[in-house]
Amino acid sequence: MLFKLSMSGLRSKYKDYIVLLAGLVMSISIFYMFQTLAMNKAFIEANAMIGPIQFVFYAGSVLLSIVTFFYILYANSFLLSLRQKEFGMYMTLGARKNKITRLMFMETVVIGLISLVIGIAVGVGLAQVIGSMLMKELEFNSDGYHALYLPSLIVTAIFFTALFLISAIMNTIKMLRVTVLQLVHADVQTDKIAKRGKKTVFAAILSIILLLIGYASMIFMTYLQQLGVIIALITITSGTYLLFMTFLPLIILAMKRNKKRIEKGLNAFTYAQLNFRINSLTKVLATVTMLIALSAGSITAGMSFKNNIMIMVDGADYYDVTLHNPTKAEKELLASIPFTEQKEYRYKVSDKGIYYLKDDLMNHPPRIMIRASKEDFGKTKVPDAELPTGAEIRGEKNDKHGPQMPNDWYEAMEMIQPYYVYKGERVIIADQQMYDRVQGKEGVALLGKSDQFDAHLSTWKQIDAMQKSKLKLTSDQYINTKYSNYTSFRAFSAGTVYMGFFLGIAFLAMMASCLMFKILTGASKDIHRYEMLRKIGVRRELLMKSMYKELFYVFLFPAIIGIIHVLIGMEMFSFILVHPYFRVWLPILIFLVIYAVYYFITVQLYRGIVMPRKK
Amino acid sequence: MKTPVVEVSNVKKVYGKAGENQSYALNGVSFTIHEGEFVGIMGPSGSGKTTLLNVISTLDQATEGMVRIAGSDITKMKQGALSDFRSQKLGFIFQDFNLLENLTIYENIALPLSLQGVTSRQIGPKVQKVAETLGITAILHKNPAEVSGGQKQRCAAARALVHEPAIILGDEPTGALDSKNATSLLTAMTNLNQEHGVSIMLVTHDAYSASYCERILFIQDGEMYKEIHRQSSREDFYREILDVLADLGTTKA
Ligand SMILES: Nc1ncnc2c1ncn2[C@@H]1O[C@H](COP(=O)(O)OP(=O)(O)OP(=O)(O)O)[C@@H](O)[C@H]1O
Ligand SMILES: [Mg+2]
Repeated sequence: MLFKLSMSGLRSKYKDYIVLLAGLVMSISIFYMFQTLAMNKAFIEANAMIGPIQFVFYAGSVLLSIVTFFYILYANSFLLSLRQKEFGMYMTLGARKNKITRLMFMETVVIGLISLVIGIAVGVGLAQVIGSMLMKELEFNSDGYHALYLPSLIVTAIFFTALFLISAIMNTIKMLRVTVLQLVHADVQTDKIAKRGKKTVFAAILSIILLLIGYASMIFMTYLQQLGVIIALITITSGTYLLFMTFLPLIILAMKRNKKRIEKGLNAFTYAQLNFRINSLTKVLATVTMLIALSAGSITAGMSFKNNIMIMVDGADYYDVTLHNPTKAEKELLASIPFTEQKEYRYKVSDKGIYYLKDDLMNHPPRIMIRASKEDFGKTKVPDAELPTGAEIRGEKNDKHGPQMPNDWYEAMEMIQPYYVYKGERVIIADQQMYDRVQGKEGVALLGKSDQFDAHLSTWKQIDAMQKSKLKLTSDQYINTKYSNYTSFRAFSAGTVYMGFFLGIAFLAMMASCLMFKILTGASKDIHRYEMLRKIGVRRELLMKSMYKELFYVFLFPAIIGIIHVLIGMEMFSFILVHPYFRVWLPILIFLVIYAVYYFITVQLYRGIVMPRKK
Repeated sequence: MKTPVVEVSNVKKVYGKAGENQSYALNGVSFTIHEGEFVGIMGPSGSGKTTLLNVISTLDQATEGMVRIAGSDITKMKQGALSDFRSQKLGFIFQDFNLLENLTIYENIALPLSLQGVTSRQIGPKVQKVAETLGITAILHKNPAEVSGGQKQRCAAARALVHEPAIILGDEPTGALDSKNATSLLTAMTNLNQEHGVSIMLVTHDAYSASYCERILFIQDGEMYKEIHRQSSREDFYREILDVLADLGTTKA
């Protein structure tokens, strides 16, 4: 009987249950998704550029577990709040308390199991779709990643079953403690806003100190190593939570104190809503901040590793292409590229060696890399030493005569005359007189630089293929052109880039569901407020504006703090990336656009609940 | 005599779509409320009182007929204009959910003024003045959760009044109050009406509350049934009302 009654109660609140279920499914599927990557040791170790990557994933797992833990606890207390009043009524009608508690326990577990099954199914699907999409996008092929991964599935199932049991027990305890009267009037209780005193100020200062320690340990990650990760993880997480619990309510309160602002239009209501929301959302907002930091951080890291490919490639070779005696087809391809710098060097091939015309080299010297220190990476110069006539490189060792080839020019000649063109043939510098005397076939070496190497990848590929056929090399023969350098760097980074994007998307989805869930679950309490305002004659547009404004602030604070975390956190990667901040605005911008879209969706969903459109 | 504030002529309200089983919640109601009047609407449950109030308060639209408030025909207005009209010309006191519990009493009362763009400097004195009239000065800084039901309704009355609307509309404002609190609210409303000349229209099914009015319109099955005026003391009027209600019961049966 009671069971039937409670089923009908469940049906009448199906909207709230859908929100609840969607939230649970989301968190389970994301947890699973994360684990498919984190637990696949073989894949990670084979594909990551970062040495202690397993440790990074371990730390990420801990963080995600904490976030999920609070998420599930909150979701279940929401479930309890949905049922409280109804159960209270059954009790006043004479239902026994232990029966009601058992019902609550069962309901929590059943909902948990349903969402677990759906969540894992969705997780497998998401992992499959996102995984293959990214692999395609990044031209990264690996059969080591499995969307359906049994160990992850088992861990997810165990983790969430335990969580649901814990929350079922907690719900039961809560039900046992409250009186019937409290249950019946459950929805009348206004969420009280705690008073703040000296403790708050202390906690606020502490939060700043914690964050500073965390930032410092990320900046000095090179010295602290794994310890740095652990310190940053602990201090930044706790610092963020404290910051949101102490500072944010103070800021809103300060905003509310401004009488002029408050007594304008609907502001009094907007800020009151905001104040109430910020106070009830501090922990969620802190969680969201951490997830934003993780998500934007992963995406930014992924992008940086992707950008790093070009930085590394550009740092290894200044010129995009080196070509000897271009054919007609090759010339046509070259014509399609907007070169910013082109160099030509004439030479003659005789049986004694290859004679380069000194005047060409001296008049338009090629740029070479400065390889003195890490700071000089990617910088170039022209050879500053004098180029002596008769200096030579390659050829038979014991056959060597003539003056010493200066280091700078040695490097330049190695670049102009790649090894694969004439193999080990001797290269000799000849002045005009000497050059004229040499009997042999004339040739020309061509260097080109365009600034847009990555925009013409297919052209470079074609040129490389043509060179191979021209020089009668097999197609799988390695030639050290810039393009082949590029492909090997890309293959090397792809795994890391893939992991960055994959995690970024997972954390982003988690963040979205977390904030949306919290806002929507609170929405039904706001319905009558908006209804009353409508009745006393507040225009719809004004109410909409109020919602946009209120939720704007709710979204704003986590975004600011989260992005600060990311910007400072990128410093961590300076040990492996040349310029961790190169084009960092791009992923942040992409992230902000997604975040903004998600903000609009949340406002619309919220509006749909509190202010249903008539007819 | 005085100028009319509310003119209702031949208003009909049909629920249900054409073709289906339609029902007339209002079936040709006409009456006029003049400036400074305190009018009560009574009738049995389901007779159409709330429907009538909703039509007058522009929250619902009449199927037929005309409603004029302070000279404007509200049956012809658009949604946005109706919102503005409500916020400027009408004051509401409902049975519950009157105050926004996340604002202080002061902020609740100030809300209609700030909505109309009254400057912050002018708002303070106006709120103070209505608060004095209704005897709630001492609780202005409190939250609605911290005051009694009667005080809450007086605050609602203050909010309904603060922007000097053409008329105050109440749908069973005493419905959720005990007799002591109901009396204090009714006294306050009578005071507003007599000392400050505020027009009030009150829907109620409680004869005691109705006895505070000057004139009572009885409706039954969506039609005007009877109208009585207060001639002598409130006690006599109370008895008269009970008689009419008894009649209503018998004719219905
Ligand atoms: N939204 C609606 N749809 C259909 N019928 C309605 C609707 N609202 C009211 N009615 C019907 O219109 C008639 C008048 O209802 P109304 O709410 O005005 O009565 P009332 O006089 O306020 O009653 P009470 O004293 O119980 O509040 C009733 O028969 C009611 O069933
Ligand atoms: Mg009614």
